[in-house]
Amino acid sequence: MREVVEEKGKILRGYGLEGSGCSLPAGQEGGDFFEFISCNEGSVFIVIGDVMGKGFQAARQMETIRQLARECIRINPHPLEVVRRLNKLGGYELRKCGSFATLCLLCYDGITGRLTCVNAGHHPPLLLSNGQVRVGQCWGVAIGLLEDYLGSGAEEFFLADGDAVVLYTDGLVEACGPGEQRYGQERLKRVVRLQNGADAECMKENILADLDTFTRGISQKDDVTLVVMKVTRKAGDMGGD
Amino acid sequence: MEIRARQEKGMASLEVEGELDFSNVELLQREIQRLPEEVVEVDLQGLQFIDSSGVGMLLSQARIFYKQGRTLRIVRIPSHIQEDLEVIGFFRVLEVLETKPNA
Repeated sequence: MREVVEEKGKILRGYGLEGSGCSLPAGQEGGDFFEFISCNEGSVFIVIGDVMGKGFQAARQMETIRQLARECIRINPHPLEVVRRLNKLGGYELRKCGSFATLCLLCYDGITGRLTCVNAGHHPPLLLSNGQVRVGQCWGVAIGLLEDYLGSGAEEFFLADGDAVVLYTDGLVEACGPGEQRYGQERLKRVVRLQNGADAECMKENILADLDTFTRGISQKDDVTLVVMKVTRKAGDMGGD
Repeated sequence: MEIRARQEKGMASLEVEGELDFSNVELLQREIQRLPEEVVEVDLQGLQFIDSSGVGMLLSQARIFYKQGRTLRIVRIPSHIQEDLEVIGFFRVLEVLETKPNA
């Protein structure tokens, strides 16, 4: 896998995927994060999360959750087990401080094209395929709110060449325009639908440009994190990374 | 944020207006903690915004109440805030805590 860290974010190239993500902070340091985590030769994890609160404590807890996610993937890479273990280990740390973290974990198998999603209190992913946008149905309670993870389990999708997946934090859909109205998931779905054919980086930039148009430069209360993945090759065609 | 308290026999209500976030969450927490009633209602009808710090505080207080055998009710939640809380799993946590306060 090639993960390129740039000033504005990270870019993933590998596993028959291209990924592009960034976090835009709102004022004080927040708890948003995203990661591309290599699992084995055939699959990669994409994790997005948001730790409660702002400032030093949120940033420190975010780093703990980020490290623990890597550790949980190393111990047992089954996506549901990763989230269950993360809730046990990371949840304990968060609960001690009265905190919690929302998280959406995706595992993409570049050989079969299977995308597995487990959700812990986060907005589910949007899937763009042939000009149609679907919203993932997986749900779960955020990390740290209960001793044992509670959720709908793993949801699976099979992606084809050209399909795209969009992950985001609440700061995107809750961003406000001049009239106090919210950006919202419906507007996001509309702009994602228009991205059929665009590459991941271009999709990300177009979504952020639309957000900027909507908010008209008004400063926002929450960080915005956005990650776009796009299948660049058919499942099974894995050579050349 | 503005908080108005009403107390009746065995029950208290806190009406919250404005924005509940990282900067003022302790204010509401203190108001909830100082009430001795068996049942405390937090009325969110006038709430325009709540961030994750506000959500975390309400759930922490609900957990403490259930452990004490008391009840903290979050009522009249505006629809856009209700949707945000559903994503986090807020109501499922309250359901679990009601039966298992140590969950």
